[in-house]
Amino acid sequence: MTVVSDVKHLLASLKGVEASLSSLTLRTIDDESKRTLHETMMVIHEVVTDLKKRVGEIEQEEFQYKGF
Amino acid sequence: MPIWLNVISRVILFMIFLFFITKFLGKKQLSQLSFFEYVTGITIGGIAAIVILEVRHSIIIGLLAILVMAAIPYVVGLITLKSNKFRDFVEGRGSVFIKDGKIMEDNLKKERYTTDELLELLRKKEVFEVADVEFAVLEPTGDLSVMLKKENQPLTAKDINLTVASIKEPQTVIMDGEIMDEPLANIGLSRGWLHTELEKLGIMIENVFLGQVNSFGELTVDLFDDKLQVAFPQERPLILSTLKKCQADLELFALGTESNEAKQMYGENSEKLQKAIEKITPILKQ
Repeated sequence: MTVVSDVKHLLASLKGVEASLSSLTLRTIDDESKRTLHETMMVIHEVVTDLKKRVGEIEQEEFQYKGF
Repeated sequence: MPIWLNVISRVILFMIFLFFITKFLGKKQLSQLSFFEYVTGITIGGIAAIVILEVRHSIIIGLLAILVMAAIPYVVGLITLKSNKFRDFVEGRGSVFIKDGKIMEDNLKKERYTTDELLELLRKKEVFEVADVEFAVLEPTGDLSVMLKKENQPLTAKDINLTVASIKEPQTVIMDGEIMDEPLANIGLSRGWLHTELEKLGIMIENVFLGQVNSFGELTVDLFDDKLQVAFPQERPLILSTLKKCQADLELFALGTESNEAKQMYGENSEKLQKAIEKITPILKQ
C-alpha cells in the first residue's frame, strides 16, 4: 500500500469513530458522560481536519494518488 | 342476620377501612420507625380483631376508635416536623454503643443490652470482630448502625483515584414481551428505535421477558427461551479499540514521513488523541 492510501484509511477510521461517538453522545443520558464524549468528538474532529489537509498536500505533490 | 354472616361482613368492612387508614398514614406507618407508629399499629389491629369477633360491639364505635387511634400519630407526626425537642422526646435518640472503637458499657446497661446481644446485632451487619468497628449506634427502632474503621471499609473508586464514568439509572423498556412506553419516552427513545435494536439482535419482541436500556442507550435483554445466547452490546469497546488503533497509526506516520512539517503535525495529533483516549477510557471500557 502506498502512504497516501494509509493516510486515507486512517482518515476514514477516524471519521467512523467520530460518527459513532456522535450517536453515542446523543443516546447518553448522563450529562457528565455526555460532555466528555462530546469533548473527545471535538478533538477527533480537529485531527480529522489536519489529516484532510495533509491528504490534500500529498495529492498535490504526487498527482497520481488523487481520488480514492 | 346469622352470626357467621355478620362476622364475614365485618371482616370485609374492616379490611377495607384499615386499608384506607394505612394508605392515609403512609409509608411511615408501615416502617414503624417511632414509638407512636409501633403502638398504634398494634392497637388498631387489636381493636379491629375485637370488633370483628365480638359482634355485640357496634361497628360504628369500632371504626371511630380506629379513626381516633390513627389520627394521633398523624397529629404527632405534624408536630415533630416543627419541633426538634418534641421529636427527641417522642421518637427518642439513638444511643452510642461503640465510640472510637471502644464499647460504651454504660449505654449498653442503660438500654439493657447484653454483650451477646450486641455481638448478635453486629453479626447481623456482617461484623464478627468488635475491633473492626469505629462507631456503632443503636437507633430508636432497635437497629444497630455500624461504621467500620476506614481500613475495613470496602474499597471505592475514590480510594484508588480511579475515574469512573458517571451513569444514570437504567430504564426497563420491555416487560413480559410488552413495550413500556413511559420509560422509553423518559430516555428520549422511540418504539422504532427499540424494534431496530431487537432486529439487530435477531430476536422477536414476544420472546423478550425483560429488556433494559442503560444510560448509554444500550439495550440488554433476557429471553423466555434461556437456551438462546444474546449478544452483549459491543459498540463502546469497539470505538475504544478503533481509537487506539488510529492513535498508533498516527505515531507510525510521524516516524515514517520525511517532511518535517508533516512529522510535527502527526506527532501533535497523536498526543492529542492519546490524551482524549485517556479521558474517555472510563466511559468506553466495560
